[in-house]
Amino acid sequence: MQAKLQKTQVKSPKVVSQADWLVARKQLLTKEKEFTRQRDALNAERRALPWVKVEKQYVFDGSSGKLTLAQLFNGRSQLFIKHFMMGPGQKQQCVGCSLEVDHVEGILDHLENHDVSYAAVARAPIDEIEAVRKRMDWHFPWVSSYNNDFNYDFNVSFKPEHMTAGTADYNYQQGNPGMEDLSGDSIFYKDDSGQIFHTYSTFGRGGEEFLGIYRFLDLMPKGRDENGPHHSLADWARPHNMYGKGGMVEATGRYHAPGCACAVHT
Amino acid sequence: MQPQLQKSKTDQPNVVSQSDWLAARRELLAEEKEFTRRRDALSARRRELPWVKVEKNYVFDGPNGKESLSDLFRDKSQLIVYHFMLGPGWEQGCPGCSFLGDHFDGTLVHLNARDVAFSAVSRAPMPQIEAFKKRMGWQFKWVSSNSNDFNYDYHVSFTKDEMVKGKANYNYGTREFPSEEAPGLSVFYEDAAGQIFHTYSAYARGLDILLGAYNFLDLTPKGRDEVTLAQPMSWVRHHDRYENGYTVDQAATYQSPKLASDSCCSHEQPT
Repeated sequence: MQAKLQKTQVKSPKVVSQADWLVARKQLLTKEKEFTRQRDALNAERRALPWVKVEKQYVFDGSSGKLTLAQLFNGRSQLFIKHFMMGPGQKQQCVGCSLEVDHVEGILDHLENHDVSYAAVARAPIDEIEAVRKRMDWHFPWVSSYNNDFNYDFNVSFKPEHMTAGTADYNYQQGNPGMEDLSGDSIFYKDDSGQIFHTYSTFGRGGEEFLGIYRFLDLMPKGRDENGPHHSLADWARPHNMYGKGGMVEATGRYHAPGCACAVHT
Repeated sequence: MQPQLQKSKTDQPNVVSQSDWLAARRELLAEEKEFTRRRDALSARRRELPWVKVEKNYVFDGPNGKESLSDLFRDKSQLIVYHFMLGPGWEQGCPGCSFLGDHFDGTLVHLNARDVAFSAVSRAPMPQIEAFKKRMGWQFKWVSSNSNDFNYDYHVSFTKDEMVKGKANYNYGTREFPSEEAPGLSVFYEDAAGQIFHTYSAYARGLDILLGAYNFLDLTPKGRDEVTLAQPMSWVRHHDRYENGYTVDQAATYQSPKLASDSCCSHEQPT
């Protein structure tokens, strides 16, 4: 057997008999069931939100040419958009977005057979996106909004003047997000007559809904174990092909590979 | 472009201006934040559960021979076991477990980086597991408990006698259960001295949060879209069994697994 990794220690656990454990577990089960029902209720409220008709004609750059927002639905009536944090020329891959989309490949078949299409959108030009896609071996649809206002209209990219003035909108409040691109998830609906509606968007910790790994980690004795320096997934998450290979992650989630010579390290 | 699938219709939506939508969305955001904090608190409570020392020496059949429970930890101190419903003689794994199985591979490298090892465990013999795993193209670790009591001790397999008497011990209660196998997830910890502890197990709808696809669907206008189905998950197929123009039999209900034939999970309704 290999030696155990020396990681953080779990606070001295309370070890009990099976019978005592069952008593505690059953008490917790009651709380868990209550939580499950609260979650069902919140989800119902989310779906009860009103909709806004999308009036602009968004045209994206895909790997094989132009694609409209309507085409991203790909024959389905519901569209899930992952706003992938990647601006033009951005070399440092966002570890949070990368972690999020690593969850998607396995479930695409199921979503697509339940009337949901999925696409990632980033502001970087399509050739930059394709380079990352190839490196990461991702296969989900991923298009560029480089030539349209999509990212700005859905509040995941910000104009420098709005940032400076503190009037950039992110997660339903105004301020200076400090970065030109941030992460988010948006949902659209297309009716039989081809009208498209924006139904939902979530940002910030709202994106944890799509980080299934947290559901697992939250059950482990050590939990998320994010003890600094950032106290977020930036403490540990790496692009899936870069674990154990060094590099560093900024508080913003941007990953710098070993050998990166940019000014952030100095 | 594929043809529009004929699915359920969405209720007449309430279409409003951007500013009215924002007002409604902000109100909801406050509730979402409250919910996120409630989840944090529940997760903390889960981790405060006491532990039970594992006294039995479980030995599983793995792809390359015998493996103890301790071996499954590899160099990690935390272990997730997914109790995958695949009984001896079943032709394929339960579709619901397979749906969840489709969630594992993409995050394994990240879980490993968090001091977490993962293994699926089923009561079917190893050749059956290997054949099904190959068909599904899965990479995650998967061992057989065919020659030990693990599945019975962690209440995911039931004897014929228990089933006949309606006395299956599942999800912390005694109930009738329509299958010899049930789904579950258990968590173990191994300390530096090699002692192993059982820290957590969840069953039935306790596994719902692990189905990331549901987290996506829950936010879409149609949601899970299962209300008209006789069984919540009866739309789910093995990922290699969806076909063009596939339709869902709304009346399809639970079927007991038959030897070398289709099998299906049981799904507890919300209580």
